Amino acid sequence: MSVVDQKLNRRAMLLGAVFLVGGAAALTRFTRTSSANPARGPAFSADQFALLEQVTEVIIPATDTPGAIGVGVPVFIRDLLMNWGSPQSRAEIASVLEAIEQRTWAKHGSRFLELPDSQRLDLMRSYDEDSIKSHDPAYRKFKHMVLLGYYHSEIGATQELRFELVPGAWRSCMPLNEVGRATAFWT
Amino acid sequence: MDFDAIVVGSGISGGWVAKELCERGLRTLLIERGRHVNHRKDYLDFSPPWELPNRGLVPEDEIKEHYAIQSTSYAFNEGTKQFWVKDSEHPYSTPDGRTFNWLRGYHLGGRSLTWARQSYRYSDIDFSANKKDGHGVDWPIRYADISPWYDRVERFAGISGASEGLEQLPDGQFLQPMELNCAERAFKERLEKERPTRRVTIGRCANLSEPTEEHIKLGRGPCQLRSVCDRGCGYGAYFSTLSSTLPAAERTGNLTVITDTVVESLDYDHAKRRVSGVRVIDANTKLRRSFQARVVFVNGSTIPTAQILLASRSEYFPNGLANRSGAVGRYLMDHVQGVGAIGTMPGFLDRYYYGRRPTGIYIPRYANVTEDNSAQFVRGYGFQGKGERPSWDRGVDQVGVGAGLKQGLRDPGPWQMLLYGFTEMLPRADNRVTLHPTRTDKWGIPLVHIDCTHGENDLKLAAQAKQDAYDMLVAAGCENVRNLYPEISPPGSCVHEMGTARMGRDPETSVLNAHNQAHDVPNLFITDGSCMTSSGCANPSLTYMALSARAANHAADRLASGDL
Repeated sequence: MSVVDQKLNRRAMLLGAVFLVGGAAALTRFTRTSSANPARGPAFSADQFALLEQVTEVIIPATDTPGAIGVGVPVFIRDLLMNWGSPQSRAEIASVLEAIEQRTWAKHGSRFLELPDSQRLDLMRSYDEDSIKSHDPAYRKFKHMVLLGYYHSEIGATQELRFELVPGAWRSCMPLNEVGRATAFWT
Repeated sequence: MDFDAIVVGSGISGGWVAKELCERGLRTLLIERGRHVNHRKDYLDFSPPWELPNRGLVPEDEIKEHYAIQSTSYAFNEGTKQFWVKDSEHPYSTPDGRTFNWLRGYHLGGRSLTWARQSYRYSDIDFSANKKDGHGVDWPIRYADISPWYDRVERFAGISGASEGLEQLPDGQFLQPMELNCAERAFKERLEKERPTRRVTIGRCANLSEPTEEHIKLGRGPCQLRSVCDRGCGYGAYFSTLSSTLPAAERTGNLTVITDTVVESLDYDHAKRRVSGVRVIDANTKLRRSFQARVVFVNGSTIPTAQILLASRSEYFPNGLANRSGAVGRYLMDHVQGVGAIGTMPGFLDRYYYGRRPTGIYIPRYANVTEDNSAQFVRGYGFQGKGERPSWDRGVDQVGVGAGLKQGLRDPGPWQMLLYGFTEMLPRADNRVTLHPTRTDKWGIPLVHIDCTHGENDLKLAAQAKQDAYDMLVAAGCENVRNLYPEISPPGSCVHEMGTARMGRDPETSVLNAHNQAHDVPNLFITDGSCMTSSGCANPSLTYMALSARAANHAADRLASGDL
């Protein structure tokens, strides 16, 4: 079997797994792991979850603060899709991951997880730009989940941004550099 | 008699009536259809975003199944869900093709827990409007009648605000105002220069910027600038039945509260011309019983109050109690919502704020007050709004991923100015609540059928408010100005429903007299939104409070003098 064939086979397996998520009937074939809502299967296969981890980490990488994986964004999205998401939302998020994988294959002939970091960033940059310019609702939902998961985590809210549970005072017009950064609540 | 007085409903107005009656020494029964809520203990106000299981989001399937209507409220989320009814459990009916968004919560304290706390006086421009232009009947009161009662309820509730000396928005007994932020100050300065007939002020709100001794004695503390008010406030820093009127009533020793008790109808004794009993159903066991008292206040909120009256049929009131006029259920109003605009205020990028202020800005009505629009429409509209710097959420719709995205979102975004119109709605007989002829709820009570549309004048006002919101942002130097909503919201969306048992001078055309007393049933009083003869354009809750305190004291006077 050639290298290309191997890749094709892996791709077929991967896409097959992704497609399963969209079908409600197929969900029952997955191992049930959710304690919060046992009637639903897990939102992602192991392969998909690995892809989800790496995609979210490209969107919000570790810098001088933790990145998406470091604050648990992939786990948050998995749990959110089990406990909050409708079948349609789960299918939409799966379709985003699938589209990223397909674009990777079309451009590089390999899986996203096999790309070096710089190529992952380039690929996500172009995918993000195209999706936002075309107002793709599924990608918008996905990106919202990534940012919500990050910036409303404890680390995201209090280390990356600023968040006071009890501000205790209203200072109506003060130098930004005294606050330092944006506050995590956007009300 | 079981009690001196019965109050049906524990929301903003019912809580006020119970407090005033108890303080006058009357043994008072407060009946709430929903569950008991423990002040502080049952609130989720100390949960940071990461401690809510779905970070504030209510599951999509749950919304679809149970909260299709309630979820249209800006205040519906994981932290407030407990204060909204399940639409699946509390159905109502509307004509085909006509929507009415009936937003509500059935629990002790009602919507006093989730209200937006905006507190404005109505003026003689409002109280004389019907007489002046002929829409609706004349209010039986004027500003001078209610002004001292505004004073009383403002002092007790604690209203933060700035005095402006405006005829159309009378000043009150204010706690210190919360400050405008940098962008709002610039907006005010520029708009008032470009449009001298208009005024920008800080939103007057029922949040304790500085509690008085009276507030502290009730266990209330100063606002902590968290802006999670609609989850309930453990500091008791905003006015609600639970933070304020209920503890005041309880400390008299005269209050009895029963929850989970649905009022079905009122009995009428024609020989004595009195309400002789309040028929209730235990919400859990469905057992029926009845209570008696010398005086009955119905404060079920506008739609249920009409429902109770319409269901109380007798030989002498075949169309519903106190409904000789046929006005019960009619003249339903709301404020028209779904008009607004947003724009970017350039500059001030080195300025920011600290804390989450629980109010915004307010532009009082100017149409047909300081400006003449009489050729176009009658009445007017006001605006709420705010200036703010958006946070991380703007990243969702911006192109960009990676370290650049992360770095960019560390700073707040450029200042945004937002304006939302609140438009007066005229009283029209066709806007009406009736009882459904066949469908009933799980207690066997006929469903309400709500038929309500916006009229021609309402739509003209809303269209002009939309245009004005846009123009004012442009006039104040905002860039990238655009309107916020493609179309106005269905009636009900503003959650200011009112008018279904209106006050008036003539028993032939109105339900209640100048003291919120039923013309034909002297021991029946109604002081919730249903009593409103016109809608004004300001948020109405403060007026319900003042009318409630006034009517309760009138009733107590009459009981004391033996007239009731």
